[in-house]
Amino acid sequence: MPQGLTDAIVSLRMDEAVTLAKRMLADGTDPLAIIAEGSEAMQVIGRRFAEGEAFIPELIMGGEIMKSISQEVMPEGSGPDTQSSKGTVVIGTVHGDIHDIGKDIVALMLGMEGYSVHDLGIDVPVEDFVAAIEEHDADIVGLSGLLTLAFDAMKSTVDGIAAAGLRDKVKIMIGGAPVDENVRAYTGADGWGSDVGHAIKLAAEWTDGGA
Amino acid sequence: MQHEAEEKLGDGLIARWVSGAHLHFANDEARKTYQARAQLIIDTIRLKDTGKIPVIPAATQKFAFDYVPVTFREAMTEFDKAFDAYVRQYEDTDFDAYVGPEFIFPAGMFEALAWNRVRLPGIHLPDDKSFQFVEAEYMKAEEYDEYLDDPSDWILRKYLPRLSPKLEPLAQLPPLRNMLAFFQGLPDLVLAAAENPGVVDAMKALQASGESVQEWYEYLGRIDQELGGRLALPHLLGPMAHAPFDIISNYYRGWRGSIVDMYSRPEKMTALMERLLPWQLQYGIDGAKALGHPIVTLYLYKGADSLMSEAQYEEFYWPTLKKLILGLVEEGLLVWIFTQGKYDSRLHHFKEIPAGTCLIHLESGTDAFLAKEVLAGSQCIEGNVSSALLATASVDEVEAYCQRLAEVCGKGGGFMMDFSAFLDEARRENVKKMIEVAKRYGRSSS
Repeated sequence: MPQGLTDAIVSLRMDEAVTLAKRMLADGTDPLAIIAEGSEAMQVIGRRFAEGEAFIPELIMGGEIMKSISQEVMPEGSGPDTQSSKGTVVIGTVHGDIHDIGKDIVALMLGMEGYSVHDLGIDVPVEDFVAAIEEHDADIVGLSGLLTLAFDAMKSTVDGIAAAGLRDKVKIMIGGAPVDENVRAYTGADGWGSDVGHAIKLAAEWTDGGA
Repeated sequence: MQHEAEEKLGDGLIARWVSGAHLHFANDEARKTYQARAQLIIDTIRLKDTGKIPVIPAATQKFAFDYVPVTFREAMTEFDKAFDAYVRQYEDTDFDAYVGPEFIFPAGMFEALAWNRVRLPGIHLPDDKSFQFVEAEYMKAEEYDEYLDDPSDWILRKYLPRLSPKLEPLAQLPPLRNMLAFFQGLPDLVLAAAENPGVVDAMKALQASGESVQEWYEYLGRIDQELGGRLALPHLLGPMAHAPFDIISNYYRGWRGSIVDMYSRPEKMTALMERLLPWQLQYGIDGAKALGHPIVTLYLYKGADSLMSEAQYEEFYWPTLKKLILGLVEEGLLVWIFTQGKYDSRLHHFKEIPAGTCLIHLESGTDAFLAKEVLAGSQCIEGNVSSALLATASVDEVEAYCQRLAEVCGKGGGFMMDFSAFLDEARRENVKKMIEVAKRYGRSSS
């Protein structure tokens, strides 16, 4: 029963959700339909999060459940559906910084919101951002950093994107605990956020604005 | 057990720390200045209205290094250069206490073991970047029972080999609990060592790592003598302990693992936290005795507003943390609670601890004015001046914010001026302005 799967995911019952997904697959349900069902459940969690009724652990746990379900039902190497993407995001933690929690959450949530997200990981060199923007034809770039030492790395990444002639093509957001408007101005980014809610809002403004 | 008439551990340690008996003072003036500053810090934690706002440094790191300058790499390897940096920084900035290189660990300690929980400047990162910890799943979900059954065995034969390739041979040792049988199981133990030459190499790697720590401790001692005995600055950062939830999340299961465990195996997680609690308490008490320091510092990580719900905080995070704090306070010790991340919704819990026993550090994400409202008359607060503000704003902007903090949070006592987190890129003139505002407060309003 699809309703059962949605409920199990929204209630964060991992074992039950995975068992249900496996049963649906065995009963002949299209794997993509199972994933779509799961994605809808994740959007419910995402909405609760946006309204302050759910917290990051719910998002992470929902993501873990979806990961387990995907592993069970999807054939190896299946990629994300990019056809209905709201926009393409390249995201990473800037060079010299290896913190990943905030970046991972923003990547997860933007993915749930319908963006096609390419996560470059941590300690990402400027040239990797530039290459990824070109390769994926990105609309938005997310630069993450937890250390105040990341400010210079953010600035040099923004400068590097400009030097590659890509600055007008993308909107750049910076994120992380220590950033604020002063840091945004210093780095030359287009927007800043200290939590995932800010990131989603900015992405929505930028993509709707361009539509 | 403590008896009413008996002097508590903390009382003696506070008296000793305030007297500076552990230091050789350069002169009488240094002694008097030191004692006045240490007493002011204790009085402020005790919520006395002294009419003054002490200024303390959370940790200065690169801000200090730039005085020479030294890189992060050099700070972890060339202690004489780093020593000069800290001395020059504290000579130039009028703090009321110091925090030194307690977190700028010796690179050799990690390198001798190829410790994989850390990324080091000069090895994995540029020389001028801070070392950073790697969080990963070092304990598997199915290992809770193994840990609960025999923690030392799990640590020796599973944890250490996962943290260091040099210690992988320890996994070949038999469990020490097997030393029960004929001749105490001695043949099994020594045979394992003889058959695995790597065990001897592992011990040599531990020795090499330890020699770096010996050298580093000697350097910390010299810093204490110079900054304490000559510059009259009490050392604020002494013994430490951890919230049990953070130990599981930071060191064993990783953040994701700890989140999954809250949903999938809450009983096991709670059992492990209860197991860790008395050890952490003893660790803090032993540290206070060993260092002769009355303030135990707890850095808090995973309980911030955005990292879990209030219900999860109350079920998983706070119960063992509260018992840990109460256990330390019961010994007469003071507790420096270093909240990290936004902590607005958790502040009220600190009212459950006896008043005037804790110093609550606030990062810039927490509303210091709300904290004052919530904790006035209950616990002392400090911090909140944003590192970004100090790095990028004008002197006037810094002055305006600090002035407001001093006026609102300083009112009636129970407040210390401090920045949010590591200073690193802060402008000197901004840091000096922050200090000046705090010092001015005492002169203008009392």
